Amino acid sequence: MAVSPVVTYEATSNIKVTADKAKSLAVRTNSISNQNEAPPEKKQGGQELAERLNHETKEKYVKDKKLGEGTYAIVYLGHLKADPSSKVAIKKIKVNTEYRDGLSMDAIREVKYLQELSHPNIIALHAVFSSKNQNLNLVLEFLPLGDLEMLIKDSEGIRYGTAEVKAWMGMLGRAVWFCHENFVLHRDIKPNNLLIAADGEVKLADFGLARSFSDPYRLMTYQVITRWYRPPELLYGARFYSGAVDVWSMGTVFAELILRVPFIAGNTDIHQLELICQAIGTPTEENWPGVSKLEGYVGYEKAATVPVRGKDVYLARFGTAGPVGVDLLMSMLALDPRKRSTARQILEHKWWTTDPRPTAKEDLPKKGGGLEKMGDDLKRRGGEVEDGRGDKVARKLNFGTMK
Amino acid sequence: MPQLTEDDLYRTSTQYRLWSFNRESLLSLRSTTNESAAEGVRAALHAQKAAEQEQSSKQDSNGSPPQEVDCLSVGEEQKLVVFYCVQTMRFADFCEFPTNATAVQYLKRFYLSNSPMTYHPKEMMPSALFLATKTENHYTSLKSFVSKLPKTTAEDVVAPEFLLTQGLRFTFDVRHPHRGLEGGFMELLALATGKGQSGPNNGASPTQFQKQMVGLDPANGGNKKSRSAKEVVQRIQDAHGKAKEILKTSALLTDAYFLYTPSQIWLSSLFVADEPLARFYVDSKFPTPSTMKPTLLTTLGTCANLLRSSASADPEDSEVKELKRIDKKLYKCRNPEKIDLVGINKAQKREGHEDGLDEKVIKKRKLERERSEKEAEDIFGPALGIKDGK
Ligand SMILES: Nc1ncnc2c1ncn2[C@@H]1O[C@H](COP(=O)(O)OP(=O)(O)OP(=O)(O)O)[C@@H](O)[C@H]1O
Ligand SMILES: [Mg+2]
Repeated sequence: MAVSPVVTYEATSNIKVTADKAKSLAVRTNSISNQNEAPPEKKQGGQELAERLNHETKEKYVKDKKLGEGTYAIVYLGHLKADPSSKVAIKKIKVNTEYRDGLSMDAIREVKYLQELSHPNIIALHAVFSSKNQNLNLVLEFLPLGDLEMLIKDSEGIRYGTAEVKAWMGMLGRAVWFCHENFVLHRDIKPNNLLIAADGEVKLADFGLARSFSDPYRLMTYQVITRWYRPPELLYGARFYSGAVDVWSMGTVFAELILRVPFIAGNTDIHQLELICQAIGTPTEENWPGVSKLEGYVGYEKAATVPVRGKDVYLARFGTAGPVGVDLLMSMLALDPRKRSTARQILEHKWWTTDPRPTAKEDLPKKGGGLEKMGDDLKRRGGEVEDGRGDKVARKLNFGTMK
Repeated sequence: MPQLTEDDLYRTSTQYRLWSFNRESLLSLRSTTNESAAEGVRAALHAQKAAEQEQSSKQDSNGSPPQEVDCLSVGEEQKLVVFYCVQTMRFADFCEFPTNATAVQYLKRFYLSNSPMTYHPKEMMPSALFLATKTENHYTSLKSFVSKLPKTTAEDVVAPEFLLTQGLRFTFDVRHPHRGLEGGFMELLALATGKGQSGPNNGASPTQFQKQMVGLDPANGGNKKSRSAKEVVQRIQDAHGKAKEILKTSALLTDAYFLYTPSQIWLSSLFVADEPLARFYVDSKFPTPSTMKPTLLTTLGTCANLLRSSASADPEDSEVKELKRIDKKLYKCRNPEKIDLVGINKAQKREGHEDGLDEKVIKKRKLERERSEKEAEDIFGPALGIKDGK
């Protein structure tokens, strides 16, 4: 519905609230530009208001040591100048090195969406500022306990069961639901992008590939989502898609949490599709009406077709999740994106209220070792080492008919 | 399972948190910006003059007293910015909605805290557009972007980007009212064809709604009542067309986005297009009696007036004359230190690589990532709505 009474009424009265906010901006402005008090700062080339606000933000934080390095950013530990015990992660994006086209799409997407999304299971962006040489800095919530990938991989050191999986999946489910409610697709859900806060809360991070999907008629690129977590419609080159792509990724994360190895780990996109056929079933017009019209669809010999796997197959592999959990998993991994459950349906699923209840976040297993150990962990990024993130936007499949 | 309302979603948006004002706060912000920029201009011109005098004539050491610079007023600044917003829409006819609409809002937001005396809108315009192509997922390479613009180099586009993003306070999301209008349009059509649902507390049945619509007063100025459901549908389509046009022009050029929510804006555009129809729509949403309705109607009334007062997207001769006068005036009161944006940008970049990162590694990784990124986005190619050539 476009306008509920509450919407408009609230919105009207909100203008007052907003006015206060505006005033606070204006007041700050006034006080900053008040000549009697602080004339000297301005003289350096007449700093404009925006520049001063930026400066103010920057001055609020102190960078400490380097925490790690990603493809397009370096992450530092930092703190509020006013509160040395506070901790933040400062992600510094290099804007001006080589990229000729200004601010990169990654940085823009990350900033754009994190600025809008505020939810306990999505990494919080506290502030953004630029430093003198035009580097963009994102002040993020500090998440010291690594990511889900580390926990999954440490099968020696860390034991967990269904109650833990349920807790983690619940947090992931809420994050994805919230993104979708806000018409944002994450498009890179995987264990390594699920960071863990000091209290055990899982936070969806890395919005460098996110985009909004509010306009259903706009073509989108299918070169998204790290291969192992990429749904079949994208592997077939679909140009119109929905939240279902994130749901598939969630399903593969769910499976991986149980198996403790990546569920469908192809070496190439073609290989990935083969493995999907084997694990889930071969996409056909019968189980997925319209699939053969996708640009990259490859016909299959009748004889080579794998029927869609039944519940028994899943129970054999994922039985620890219980029959209800297996239902949920299967609903996330439906081949036809229209049959896949939505994030909302996932949250409404019976599994969450079936025994065992999800573990309280404080009691979830934690990666030991603290910061130092984490530094080492950062260096080994299994599964992706040879690829690097550059490959996450996967190589184009050669399906011939590409424009 | 909670259902987030449109309002819940809007309230967390940066458009609401950072870019919503009332008229007084908006004016006070602009005045502050104007005064501070004027001061900057005077100081810079003064310094320039002093330097010149020192060089040229040591003998005439008193020099002439610094003459008062005639700076732009807030009103003049506003006219100029709006004019360049119009230009942006024209200039960018190859950019599809919502890219151009977002670019216009970027300029409007930027000039809340920056003055045209410091940064000329003409120079910010291409940068705003290019940034909008990126934030609205219509990204095309800078090279091809530049090739579509008259007399613009790649550097002209990129150099002000940093200033722009800073002026935008690093918020890139703009919530437009267009989608809401489409939703309302569909709802009205449904009501007109007897398929409508009323608001939760409004007891009218679909057929009652349908009947009410036939009986509505004619749209502004008209005197012919609709006689059939078919005529009502036509009427809705007409109103939709007009409202859409308003959203593409007046809603963008006025301060509507700063002062009202997207829902209020599209409803107001419907008010301007066909007031009885808009009132009917509002009625269908509220139980009677309602205390919220009068408040909403008042808001819509003031917003509709704002939309009606908009500068034309197609300025008349007298307006053009006035704009030329302002531009001429601006020529004399520009901050000389801020004219060369390309130069300033270069200097800033040179200033520092503070921490000893391994530049090469970063560079290489970045290149890789960009290459694949470009590959990914390049396939949009012509679908970006850019006509080739010219
Ligand atoms: N909020 C945070 N709190 C603590 N550490 C963080 C935080 N964000 C990132 N890090 C650490 O810094 C490293 C770099 O992060 P970044 O998000 O830039 O890249 P990445 O996800 O590791 O790699 P890629 O760019 O390939 O996705 C990460 O490996 C992560 O462990
Ligand atoms: Mg990552």
